[in-house]
Amino acid sequence: MNPKLRAFLGGVNAELHRLKRSRLLIALVLLQAITFLVLVTLFGMTGAFAPTALVNNDNGPLAQVFISNLENDHHSFNLIFMNNETAARELVGKGSLVAMIVIPQGFSENISEGKTVPVTVFIDNINTDLTDDIQRAVPSAIMSFGDQSKLEGVNVSVVETDSYAHDTSFINYMVASALVLDALIISGTLSAFTVAEEFESKTAKLLAISPVHPLIPLMGRVTATTLVSAGALAITVSIGLIGYGISPIFPLQMVLILALCIVMFSCIGAALGAVMKKTLPVALFTLGIALPLYLFSGSYEPQRFDGNLIWGAAHFSPEYYAVGLMEHAVFNLKVTPEPLAILALALVGWIIVSLALAWFFSRRGFS
Amino acid sequence: MKTKSILVIALHDLRRWRKMPLTAACALIPPIVLTLVLVTLSLAVTQQPVALVVQGNGPASMHMAQIISSDTEAYDLTMTNATIANKMLNDEQVAAIITIPSTFDHDVANGTGKILLTVNNVDFDFSDDIRRAVDRSLVEFDAPSLVSDESVNSSLPNVYHVALDEQYIRETNVDWVHYQFVPTFVLLILDVGLVGTALLCALDGESKTARMLVLSPQRSWMLVSGRILGGVFACFAIVLPAVLLSVLFGFFSLPINQLPALFGIFLGTAFCASGIGTIIGTLVKGSRYVAFLSSVISMYLFLLGGGFTTIELAPRWLQDLSAFIPTRYSIDALRQALFYPNPTGLPFSLLVLALFAIAFVGVGSFLMRRSWTA
Repeated sequence: MNPKLRAFLGGVNAELHRLKRSRLLIALVLLQAITFLVLVTLFGMTGAFAPTALVNNDNGPLAQVFISNLENDHHSFNLIFMNNETAARELVGKGSLVAMIVIPQGFSENISEGKTVPVTVFIDNINTDLTDDIQRAVPSAIMSFGDQSKLEGVNVSVVETDSYAHDTSFINYMVASALVLDALIISGTLSAFTVAEEFESKTAKLLAISPVHPLIPLMGRVTATTLVSAGALAITVSIGLIGYGISPIFPLQMVLILALCIVMFSCIGAALGAVMKKTLPVALFTLGIALPLYLFSGSYEPQRFDGNLIWGAAHFSPEYYAVGLMEHAVFNLKVTPEPLAILALALVGWIIVSLALAWFFSRRGFS
Repeated sequence: MKTKSILVIALHDLRRWRKMPLTAACALIPPIVLTLVLVTLSLAVTQQPVALVVQGNGPASMHMAQIISSDTEAYDLTMTNATIANKMLNDEQVAAIITIPSTFDHDVANGTGKILLTVNNVDFDFSDDIRRAVDRSLVEFDAPSLVSDESVNSSLPNVYHVALDEQYIRETNVDWVHYQFVPTFVLLILDVGLVGTALLCALDGESKTARMLVLSPQRSWMLVSGRILGGVFACFAIVLPAVLLSVLFGFFSLPINQLPALFGIFLGTAFCASGIGTIIGTLVKGSRYVAFLSSVISMYLFLLGGGFTTIELAPRWLQDLSAFIPTRYSIDALRQALFYPNPTGLPFSLLVLALFAIAFVGVGSFLMRRSWTA
């Protein structure tokens, strides 16, 4: 057998054996990847369905129409029906509910007679964003109520045209992007660990005096971590898709994107490991950079909506291109102004750059 | 003498931290990055980029346009024509187009006025924000007394016959970025105190120093106290400059009367972090595993405590779970002390935090001492 191929396969074999002994490491990396799915879920929960007490003191038909408009108002409220205003007010006071809406007695009758009825809205104005949401959502529901009840004097309404046939859930949108981030966490961390350990345990010095180039067995090790990363990411993707009930529209495209991401992030991880040369900071560093890379990649909405400066900066992150392709693969959404072909080319470009980085820093580490 | 010994041990641990600059720097990355992210996100969660196309030129069209353009809290508005607006929507320069059609004045006079809204609805978070804002603008057109603060008490007719009696629970007006920024201090304490103490414990185990400690002439409780106090000192060494810098840069103002409460919150959180770090560092073998696990746990403690999220908006089960997370009380107490004029829940939060700190330090100390002889 060719000595170079033998050295490469030796590296693969050695790394697979090491990873077999380091199941806790793989489990922790998986845990970290799943943590990010939890993170986006928690963040996504803050955007909609404010838990709101509804105290209805009127049994008339217009009160029911008003309630149904509150329920259907742009994912604004998670209505909790209560009979006792004092108890509801206490729950808002304790922070268990965000707001309370009270429909007074005689609501339907008074409106039918053309009188104006005050609806009490008691808000936990814990921050202005939350308060603004409620302040906009209630008039929005009132407008729909006016339209539906065909009240006299209502002169304007809105005719909406959407770019897509249906809205994608905020959490699902973020989960699809988070899978790209998980590829970074899993493959980046594992390969960074592998390379850093070579330097930390001084094996690198032994490799440097071997008859073949030291990068060849190292490449074998990184290849092994890439394969293991693919398996670990498959578990995370399954959890993400099954857990959130997401069916990718283009599953093969999704698999291809994630495979490319694993290769790219493995190379970036290898470069990171060669630069740091210590395993201890690798975990903290990966977790630290993962969040900004994720948030500046169009992960929660098309990045350009945040302004040209942030959008321009996002182009320096490989996640931007991967997320653009991923949202298309999973939901058939276009979230970047660039066409898909450009995103795919850019991703391939990033893979070449990351290979070059891994090569350069590893080589420098050995010298 | 005993105090001096404990302090010497604590300061020794601080010096060990200084000898790991790369690890220490990496532990600081998450809170620093989170601050930058929050500042950036504040641009995204408040205003939405929207194009306004005014094709009508009558008084009703002008009035409608004026209502929309005056809502600067909701829209980052670009006034343009239909062609450019469509190009901007395709290029994602705007998330939606609001069009006031040329027939608007005529239609309003007939009671059939329509505003055209085209939304890039890739997800419902920002598209719902736009829909609510547009609805509110329309309500303001037909029933100004319903939404406009200046018109609340006016005698203008309300065509919806529904008036709003808005009542607020607090006398405060904290914006999103400041509200979310405050928990960053808790993350800072977790990353320094929890991760740092956990790593030092793990390194003691790896380097077999732990076994030497058993032979030390000092009492074991002093050694344990020194380790935990070292973690607390490290937290304060980082948090105090961070707080001062935040005040200097105007992120928030420091209420003098709440300084003792703030000190108590930081102290309680630092002891909790150090105690949890001791538990992880003692139970898990191998510094790299400890680094991983402690960073993941600190992230969970931060998120479930209400950092980066509004726990009140989370499902009931998550709110219940959050009640058993010490950082929930740290974050609650910090927000109350800094933002609310009447922080009635502060003593309770401080008490629970203190109980958590005692429990974690107690369990951590016991496990650490036991690990030395194991």
